[in-house]
Amino acid sequence: MKTASIFISALFIVVSLPAFGQNALEIVKKADEKMKGNSSRAEMTIEIVRPKWTREMSMTSWAKGDDYSIILIQSPARDKGTVFLKRDKEIWNWVPSIERNIKLPPSMMMQSWMGTDFTNDDLVKQSSIVTDYEHKYLKDSTVAGFPCYVIELIPKADAAVVWGKIKLWIDKEEYMQLRTEFYDEDGFLINIMTGDEVKTFDGKKLPSRMEMIPVEKPGQKTVIIYNDMEFEIDIADNFFTTQNMKRLK
Amino acid sequence: MMFYFRLAWRNLWRNKRRTAITLASIFFAVILSSLMMSLKEGTYENMIKTTAGDFSGFVQVHADGYWEEKTMDYFFEFSEELKDSLSDTGEVDVFLPRIESFALAEAHANTKGSIVIGIDPELEKTYSKLDERVFEGSYFAKGEISVLVGKGLADYMEIAVGDTLVLLGQGYRAVTAAGKYAVKGIVKFGSPELSKQIVFLPLEEAQRLFGAYGLINNLVLKVDDAETGMKVAHKLDGEIPGSYEVMGWEDLYPDLVNMIETDRVEGYVFMFIMYMVIAFGIFGTMLMMMAERRHEFGVLIAIGMKRLKLAFVVFIEVFVISVLGAMLGILGAYPVCYYFILFPIRYGENVAKMAEEFGMEPVLRTTVEPAIFLQQATVIAIIAIIIGIYPFISLSGANAVDEMNS
Repeated sequence: MKTASIFISALFIVVSLPAFGQNALEIVKKADEKMKGNSSRAEMTIEIVRPKWTREMSMTSWAKGDDYSIILIQSPARDKGTVFLKRDKEIWNWVPSIERNIKLPPSMMMQSWMGTDFTNDDLVKQSSIVTDYEHKYLKDSTVAGFPCYVIELIPKADAAVVWGKIKLWIDKEEYMQLRTEFYDEDGFLINIMTGDEVKTFDGKKLPSRMEMIPVEKPGQKTVIIYNDMEFEIDIADNFFTTQNMKRLK
Repeated sequence: MMFYFRLAWRNLWRNKRRTAITLASIFFAVILSSLMMSLKEGTYENMIKTTAGDFSGFVQVHADGYWEEKTMDYFFEFSEELKDSLSDTGEVDVFLPRIESFALAEAHANTKGSIVIGIDPELEKTYSKLDERVFEGSYFAKGEISVLVGKGLADYMEIAVGDTLVLLGQGYRAVTAAGKYAVKGIVKFGSPELSKQIVFLPLEEAQRLFGAYGLINNLVLKVDDAETGMKVAHKLDGEIPGSYEVMGWEDLYPDLVNMIETDRVEGYVFMFIMYMVIAFGIFGTMLMMMAERRHEFGVLIAIGMKRLKLAFVVFIEVFVISVLGAMLGILGAYPVCYYFILFPIRYGENVAKMAEEFGMEPVLRTTVEPAIFLQQATVIAIIAIIIGIYPFISLSGANAVDEMNS
C-alpha cells in the first residue's frame, strides 16, 4: 500500500513537471494582462528615497493599450502641471512654467525619469514579458504570505532587451507580480522590484505599493504607491495628443 | 690641469676639418632633438592650457565624491570658513564659484544635451576673461538674466543672438529644472568639445534653475600655472575641514596625462636612436684620431709620458668636442624654438580637425623650457664620457716601439 502511494506520487511529480513547463507562459500572460488592462487611470504617489534626502511627488496617469499613456504631475508645487505623454516610442514633456512642449531626444532616454530610479526608457520600453522572453517554471515560493510561482525569463535571441535574465514571482491565485529580479548579461542582480500591500481597485486585486531597489546603490530606492485605480475607462485616442497635454488638470 | 686642456685644444685644431665635421654632426643632432622635444613639450603645454587652464582651472574643489558620479547630489555652500582654509597656502589668488550641470537645450525644435555652467559674471570677467570670448552679441550686463551659448552649439541649433533657449533637466535633489532664456551672446572656445555643448548662466539664476539656492558644486581656484596647481591640490586635498575633494588638473584629466606620458616616451625613443647614431660618429672620429697619432703616441711614451696622462688628454679632446658641439647646438636651437613660439605652425586641415577633437588649439607651438636644452647637453656629455673610456683601455697596454713602428 505504502509503496503504491509513493509510486503514485512519484508518477504525479514526473507528469506534473512538463505540465508546469507549458504553463509558465500562461502564468506570465495572465500576470501581464492583469497589470495592463485595456485602459486605466491611476492616482499615485512616488517617493524617491536617497541616503541623505527623500522627495515625494503625486501624479495622475492615464493609459490605453501598450502605446498610449499620459502622466500629469500634481505636486510638488514647483512641478505642478508638468505632463509626460508617451505615444509609441516617443516621449513628450510639457513644462507649464516655460510653456514648452519638448520631445525627449534618444540621448535622454537612459537618463533618470524625474529623478527616480526609472529611466525615461523604462516608460516607453516596448519589450514585453510575454513575447520577448522564453519562460521557464523554476519552483514554488511564498512572498508576504502569498504562494507564488517563480518563473525565469530569458530574452529571445532577437529581442531588444537590456536584461540578461528576469525572475518573476507571480502569486497563484490572483496572478499579481509580487517580486521581480532583474539580472544583467553576466548574471549579476541589478534591480529588485517588489509589490505589497495588496488592495482591491475597481474589482481587481493588486499590490498598491511597489518598490524599485537598485541593488548596487545602498540606501536608494523609489516607492510607488497607488492611491486609486480604475480600469476599462472610456477614453479616446485623441486624449493622448500633444494638444491635450496642455489642457490637463 | 689647464695644461692638459690646452694640449687637448691644440690637438683638436691640428685637424680642423675632422673637428669641424664632428662638431657639425653634434650641432645638427642637438638642434633637431631640442626642436622635436620643444615642439612636443609646447604641444603638451598647449593641450594642458586649452583643456584645463583656460577655463576649468588647474585646481577645483568639489563636495567629496562629485567628480566620480557627477550627479546633482553634491552641492555645497561656499562659506567663509571654506574660503579661509583654502587660502592658507597663499598660492590661490581668486575663487570662482560655479554650478556645472547637464541639461537638455532646445531652440527652434532642435534639442541637444548641453553643459550648463552658472558663473559669477563680474568675477569671471576679471579672471577667466569670459567676456573676451563673446564674439557675437554681448556679455552679461549686471543683474541681467540671459544665457551665453557656445559657438558650436549655436551653429548646431541655429541660434542667433536674441533667440530663446529652453533648458530642461534635473536639479538639486531631483527637482525639475526648466527655464526659458534670451540668448545674449555667443562665445568662442578653443576646445570645440566645449563649444558644442556649453551654455552659461549667471550663478544666481543657475541656483534658481537647479533649485540649489545659495549652493554651488564646483569651486575653481585660480593659480599661476599648471605646476603650482598640482602643488596646491596636493597640499589641500584631505587637509581642509569638511567633506571636500580638492583636485588638480592631473586628476581632473587623467586621459590627458596618459596621452602626454605616452607621447613623451615616443619622443625619448626617437631621441635615443638619433643619439646612438651620433655616438658612433663621435667614436669613429676618435678612432681615426688615435690611429693617425700612433707614431706620435709611441714617441711620447718613449720620452717618458705617462700612458694614463696621454689617455686623459685624448679623453679631454673627445669631451671638449662633444660638449662644444652640444653648446653650439643649443645656441642654434634656442632662436629656432623661440621663433615657433612667436609664429606657431598651423596644422593642416585634417590634423587640425583631429586636434580640435582632442579639445586643443590646432597649432604647433614650441617652448623654451630650459630643461629641454639641459637634457640634450647631459645626453651628449654622458656619451662623451662613455666613449672617452676607450683611450684608457687602448693606451694602457701600448708599447712605445710597436706604436712607433706601426
